[in-house]
Amino acid sequence: MQSGLMTTYQNPTQNRNGLAWGLSALLMAFYVDLYFTDHLDTVASALHLPSKWTFYGLIYTLAMCIGGWFMLRKHGNSAYHRWRTISLVAVQSVLGFLLPLVLDFLGRPSYYFSYFFPLKYDILFPGTLKDMPVAVACWFVFGSLVGVPTLVYFQGKRAYCSWICGCGGLAETFGDPWRHLSDRSDRAWRIEQVSIYTVLALVLVMLGLVVGDAYAADGSAIRDLAGHTKSFYGFAIGSVFSGVLGTGLYPLMGSRFWCRFGCPMAAILGLIQKFGQFRITVKKDMCISCGNCSAYCEMGIDVRAYAMAGTDIRRASCVGCGLCAHVCPRGVLKLETRAALGPHGKIEVWTLDL
Amino acid sequence: MTQPPHFVIVGNSVAGIEAAIALRKRDAAARITVISSEHPHPFARTSLMYVFCGQLSLKDTQFYPEDLYDRLRFVRVVGRVRSIDPARRTLHLTGGQTIAYDTLLLAVGSTAKRLPWPGLYDETPMFVHHFVTLEDMRGLDAAARPGMSVAVIGGGLVGIEVAEVLHLRGLRTHFLVREPAYFPIALDSAESEVVAAHIRQHGVDCRTNASVTAYRKEGGRVSLVGTSGPLDRPVDRPLELSVDLVVGAIGVTPATSWLAGSGIAVSPDTGGIETLPNLESTTAPGVFAAGDCAQVTWIDGSRRPEQLWYTARDQGRVAAAAMLGDDVNYRRGTWYNSAKFFDVEYTTAGFIPYSAGSAALESASPGSTSGGTSGCGGWQTWYQHVPGGPVTQRIVVRDGAVKGFNALGSRWDHQVWKRWIAERRPLGWVLAHMNEARFDEELVAPFRILPTATLVDGA
Ligand SMILES: Cc1cc2nc3c(=O)[nH]c(=O)nc-3n(C[C@H](O)[C@H](O)[C@H](O)COP(=O)(O)OP(=O)(O)OC[C@H]3O[C@@H](n4cnc5c(N)ncnc54)[C@H](O)[C@@H]3O)c2cc1C
Ligand code: SF4
Ligand code: SF4
Ligand code: SF4
Repeated sequence: MQSGLMTTYQNPTQNRNGLAWGLSALLMAFYVDLYFTDHLDTVASALHLPSKWTFYGLIYTLAMCIGGWFMLRKHGNSAYHRWRTISLVAVQSVLGFLLPLVLDFLGRPSYYFSYFFPLKYDILFPGTLKDMPVAVACWFVFGSLVGVPTLVYFQGKRAYCSWICGCGGLAETFGDPWRHLSDRSDRAWRIEQVSIYTVLALVLVMLGLVVGDAYAADGSAIRDLAGHTKSFYGFAIGSVFSGVLGTGLYPLMGSRFWCRFGCPMAAILGLIQKFGQFRITVKKDMCISCGNCSAYCEMGIDVRAYAMAGTDIRRASCVGCGLCAHVCPRGVLKLETRAALGPHGKIEVWTLDL
Repeated sequence: MTQPPHFVIVGNSVAGIEAAIALRKRDAAARITVISSEHPHPFARTSLMYVFCGQLSLKDTQFYPEDLYDRLRFVRVVGRVRSIDPARRTLHLTGGQTIAYDTLLLAVGSTAKRLPWPGLYDETPMFVHHFVTLEDMRGLDAAARPGMSVAVIGGGLVGIEVAEVLHLRGLRTHFLVREPAYFPIALDSAESEVVAAHIRQHGVDCRTNASVTAYRKEGGRVSLVGTSGPLDRPVDRPLELSVDLVVGAIGVTPATSWLAGSGIAVSPDTGGIETLPNLESTTAPGVFAAGDCAQVTWIDGSRRPEQLWYTARDQGRVAAAAMLGDDVNYRRGTWYNSAKFFDVEYTTAGFIPYSAGSAALESASPGSTSGGTSGCGGWQTWYQHVPGGPVTQRIVVRDGAVKGFNALGSRWDHQVWKRWIAERRPLGWVLAHMNEARFDEELVAPFRILPTATLVDGA
């Protein structure tokens, strides 16, 4: 199998053809099996693992290690990608797999310390926090409300989405071969803006209901509503959107389908990024319009349009993967964090509707 | 009621489409017709190599949205213009169609320069290819199969791109450079050697001083015959190279042959359309030219086309303003460019003398003034090679002020360099501030001056 960047379209699995559809179906079937049957519990116990979730964690971590190795082979000539890949794989292996496993083994409650609200949507539910040791509860409350937002204000969304997050980690490693399949059309951009803020609204409403419920009297209507919302969100967003579709569609829609269209964390961090210190600086007048940056942007951002217009890029959806800058053959793009912000505005051709 | 003016643009590549957009921005009512024979939608010729190898699809290289023509109400004509009648302001297309214009822009770009060996293009089956148009690329794509051997002739920027993708496809690739060093027009001998070593490291047979003068057919293969040695002292010898395919990458020439006899003046030397400073044709009122096909004035005063993507874009915009009656004057600012030699990125700005080729040539002729420490007109060159990779920096200084920059293997903001040149900054100041022009990805070690850096007289 060819694995190089230059032969991307020559590889049948990277081409949205029959093989890619098959692969996608297989991935989705796996997630359906995982979420909606107990079948994998038997597999897990055969492997002497505590539950199917541990088994899933093992597979997930292995997929990231193998994907990360290929990623390093392809892009490891860049220090940014070297360190970022190592960070993602390390966070997943240690915080996302080994630590919970050890805690479990010791008979302690186990936590995934690298996931925060609203990605981990139930972590701020009063019921969830109440059951945690105080220090752990503080970690999640502080991380969700202060830690990650502050990091993102100064470093951009990439600090979380391309260096820490396990979902992003899978996309950046196992999902890397399909990053060029993200839809670049204006239509996709419009859909993304609606869908991602809808999920965010849903998660906030759900949190409100659950908090309200904690203070409500027994038998009040809010209890039912909170319960229904939780189970709807858990099924539709937690399992189907982020799991079955989010990963299942890698070979067809690119590696960041969930991050782009669904993740409520992305919605919040994106807004912070927009007003924060991160941007992609464009070197004026050096772009040859080749299209590599736009093609390899996993968020479907038309980077080239900005590069051609000489406009610095400050897009809420940019996860700061840095691939656009890396694949640009003319070194036109640079991920930067700076207080002094350059001019950024609309792109010319879109204001051209005369 | 008077009809809105009819602007017709021949060529929908960067010069043509930028002109069309600029026209539409200024004139909402104008009729704008864009004619092209190559592809219905503008694509980046600069990414032909990426389409060839599979890093990009052709659609990825389309640099404006698919619905651009609809959005901006351009009339698209797919066809080839065969001739022009400037007196009647009419174009004739190969299918017999005629199109009348009020104002015309010729943005017809260029085609590959042909290899000058007699009989070559009559051969069947055809084994010689080029790499300039989509058709060229598709022809080579169909012919080039893994295991074949190929000679890429011409040590320029397109040649090295073709060599890279052919090698990647699994062809035994011979890269033949006539000059004593690779790309002497912009690299000095040390830089050339860095690039040549990098090319060889990739497994491409890079031969300098290799001038092919003829070929022989032997069975299904082609034997190349040529000379070796410096250009002024060539040694006749067989190249001992037998290949399946030949790719001619010895430059491009304006696609203007069809203008012969039309009355539109074309330079006999370059084939470029003779233009006024506002890019209007010198001989046909209402006819403008932009991009690869237009003669423009270079900073040294010479008149020739400037075959670059960014200048084609700028010329398209300037020509559009001129077509609308603005008083414009096309002037190329400080020179800059960038390229990529396999994995090695190259950025340049300002004046970089044609040193490698000339130095090597002059070293052969005693009494030359360049290269050594003979103090040539206040020129000085600062240079360093960063060990451990193909990374170099060169700064050219005249009378104490920096004049030009050349960098391999790292990224730089040419705009900052251009500003320093305009500000006539001294070398010491520039070296102390070099990191401000750095444009590498994060986590890359900053620029520093190595103990091995040299400063010599001459450029
Ligand atoms: C392989 C390659 C790599 C390159 N890389 C770089 C680079 O990295 N950086 C850089 O600055 N430059 C690069 N260039 C040069 C750059 O592509 C050109 O300077 C640029 O494309 C010129 O644009 P243009 O609009 O003048 O003409 P062109 O791009 O040549 O387009 C002319 C258009 O006119 C059409 N046309 C011509 N004659 C007729 C006719 N009679 N009737 C109808 N239509 C006609 C053609 O079909 C074509 O579509 C590269 C060129 C090549 C070939
Ligand atoms: S968008 Fe959401 S899921 Fe994706 S990397 Fe960011 S936080 Fe993680
Ligand atoms: S714009 Fe660049 S850094 Fe941001 S997501 Fe796209 S490719 Fe990654
Ligand atoms: S990859 Fe670089 S040169 Fe190519 S379109 Fe993007 S910014 Fe321009």
